Amino acid sequence: MSPGESSAALSLRGLCKSYGPTLAVDRLDLDVPRGSFFGLVGPNGAGKTTTLSMATGLLRPDAGTAHVLGHDVWSDTVHAKQLVGILPDGLRLFDRLTGLQLICYSGLLRGMGRTVVTDRAHELLGALGLEEAGGKLVVDYSAGMTKKISLACALIHAPRLLVLDEPFEAVDPVSASTIRQILEGYAASGGTVILSSHVMDLVQRVCDRVAIVAAGQIRAVGTLDEVRGGLTLEERFVDLVGGQTELGEGLAWLRT
Amino acid sequence: MVAHIVRLKWQLLRNGLLRSTPQLIGLIFAGLYGLGLLGGAMMGLIGLRFAVPSDVARTAIVVGGSALTLGWAVIPVIAFGTDETLDPARFATFAVPRRQLVLGLLLASLVSVPALVTALLGLATVITWSRSVLAVLVAPVAAAVGVLTCVVLSRVTTTGFSAVSRSRRGREALSALMLLVMIGVSVAGPSITKPLSTPGLLPDLADVLGWSPLGLAWAAPADIVDGALGSGLLRLALATILLVVALLAWDFLLRGALENPRGTSVGRVRDTGLGWFGRMPSTPVGAVAARCLTYWRRDPRYLVSAVLILLLPLGLLLSSLTGSSSGWPLAMAPVTGYLLGWSMHNDVAYDGTAFWTHVATGVSGSADRMGRLVPLAAAGSVLLPGYATLGAAITGRWELWPAVFGIGLGFLLAGFAMSNVLSALKPYPVPDPGANPFSSPPGAGGLTVILQMVAGLGTVVLNLPALALGIGALMGHSWMAWGALALALVLGPATLVLGTRWGNMVYERRAPELLAELSRLR
Repeated sequence: MSPGESSAALSLRGLCKSYGPTLAVDRLDLDVPRGSFFGLVGPNGAGKTTTLSMATGLLRPDAGTAHVLGHDVWSDTVHAKQLVGILPDGLRLFDRLTGLQLICYSGLLRGMGRTVVTDRAHELLGALGLEEAGGKLVVDYSAGMTKKISLACALIHAPRLLVLDEPFEAVDPVSASTIRQILEGYAASGGTVILSSHVMDLVQRVCDRVAIVAAGQIRAVGTLDEVRGGLTLEERFVDLVGGQTELGEGLAWLRT
Repeated sequence: MVAHIVRLKWQLLRNGLLRSTPQLIGLIFAGLYGLGLLGGAMMGLIGLRFAVPSDVARTAIVVGGSALTLGWAVIPVIAFGTDETLDPARFATFAVPRRQLVLGLLLASLVSVPALVTALLGLATVITWSRSVLAVLVAPVAAAVGVLTCVVLSRVTTTGFSAVSRSRRGREALSALMLLVMIGVSVAGPSITKPLSTPGLLPDLADVLGWSPLGLAWAAPADIVDGALGSGLLRLALATILLVVALLAWDFLLRGALENPRGTSVGRVRDTGLGWFGRMPSTPVGAVAARCLTYWRRDPRYLVSAVLILLLPLGLLLSSLTGSSSGWPLAMAPVTGYLLGWSMHNDVAYDGTAFWTHVATGVSGSADRMGRLVPLAAAGSVLLPGYATLGAAITGRWELWPAVFGIGLGFLLAGFAMSNVLSALKPYPVPDPGANPFSSPPGAGGLTVILQMVAGLGTVVLNLPALALGIGALMGHSWMAWGALALALVLGPATLVLGTRWGNMVYERRAPELLAELSRLR
């Protein structure tokens, strides 16, 4: 193992995944340093969710490796999974459980004791402003509340690496700032956060490192300033990813 | 605007039919079969024109027409999802004047295969009644009113139904209601169909139906043919009023659908405690068990299987109450054991993509496998001895108690063993959580049947030794009853251990692939 790999919280090498004829992730390499607040940005269909799923053991890659703090996700599965907390996008939850039950379920499945789990679950519900909703079924939650409860499930076992797929989607501004505070505290104490988003502005405000993904490959990676190179993240993103339609005189009827 | 809506429906119908080649081939066969049936029915109706006492035609058309009308009102609700193509709620954001929307949606619902079939049948009744000039004048009007009533009634029930089912609680209440109806029909069914075969009942039924909302329009031309001009015109007038009332009702329901298209449901605080999570041991197995126990109570899909598993054996009991000395109640314990064991073979599919939680937490295969069995194992530990004792008591054959209990236990454990392997190996589509538990998701008919058969056959084969001895005991070799129990007690746990080991291996190897398959099933 090279020193670069062991010091990284997440290290991906040559990851590939294709769905039938379409190549979703194409020989992707990425290192996320420990303690960083890392943003993964890219257009729809760039392969963000596929990459994060392969990095966390939810989806087996066609080729390539993924290491979490030195543990191979696909051979040293048990250790790697203990270190990671996941908030996936587009997957269901066991939503016939109450919020409290769902958080406890995530903890108990990992073999944690009941007292620890319930204490932490109540603390998490409090921190996320969900005390009231803890006794309601998750299926009756709003989209934002569902994101928050998923985050609580990802945090219950105090992971060293948090992988969050679109954590701010459909979240109201107040909840978003609560989530941000929790994540910033977590990163400041040595935890590593990697999140995907297509809201550039948000990534620009919360992340210290970013990677731009397009067509299954990393197009740019580094600290926020390195990647931006004097532009805003959005301008840089559009530069790299391209594909913006030049409007010209089109849609003239819209500008009355 | 009306033309737009009708064209939209036509386009949807065409696109729906032409989605893929296999579907098209299936459609052609189904179409040929349907055409055969329709042709037969139309020939029959035309043939009735020459039936000597016109009473036969009256009975056939009134009873058949009423059944058709009832079918239109009820079937789209039971098989819901059949016609949501023009869900009125989807028009909420377009500023279509309601009067035009009602007319457009009404005409659009005429653009469908069932409507075409009904219209053709209605047309055929005009030929049936072409026995006098006056009848020829009245019959087309009555047929048109009858066909329109069918279509409008189906709109009323589906729109009303979707209004209720827009909230989760409403949907769950409806599926519970449907379950009760189904149970009622299955219990009362035999006693209803028996008198139906007695002669003279159908004409009486036709008399009653002819004055009911279902049969008014269909009975009107029959009166004209019989020369009862007054009652014929009265029926026609009443049928027309009914149609108008149904239209107004639909209009009213549509307003609700358009003004509150998404529906709002307020969740109520259920449980501030941990529920089952506080009562099970705090281990991964206990957690999975607690989650499954919670789901057996809260998820309508599980609730339906639970009720069916409970009721099927009771059906055996009923059959013995009506018939005389039969041995059927003895089968209660074996049937229950079989159903309990077998019903777990696709359990992972019911998780849907929520299964990711198990993959992400790295819960072991054996914990996942064993935890899922806990609710049914608990049910079995009460039901099997209970039903075995009940069966022995009713038939008075106490010497068979060890055999029926043994076979039941053997089935339960063999079924669990099969399920532990199969549910990790290959999930097949099930209704989504919150969907109608009776609907069967499309696209996997073959796979579903094969997997259900493999699970069933495997369960029987693994329990063959105990089953053979049990049958021997039934034949009179009473010592074999204890042999069956002994075999079940030895072989059952051994089978379960082996099945769980194998299932654990499969799970550990393929958990991510399983998750990928589950996300494709959606």
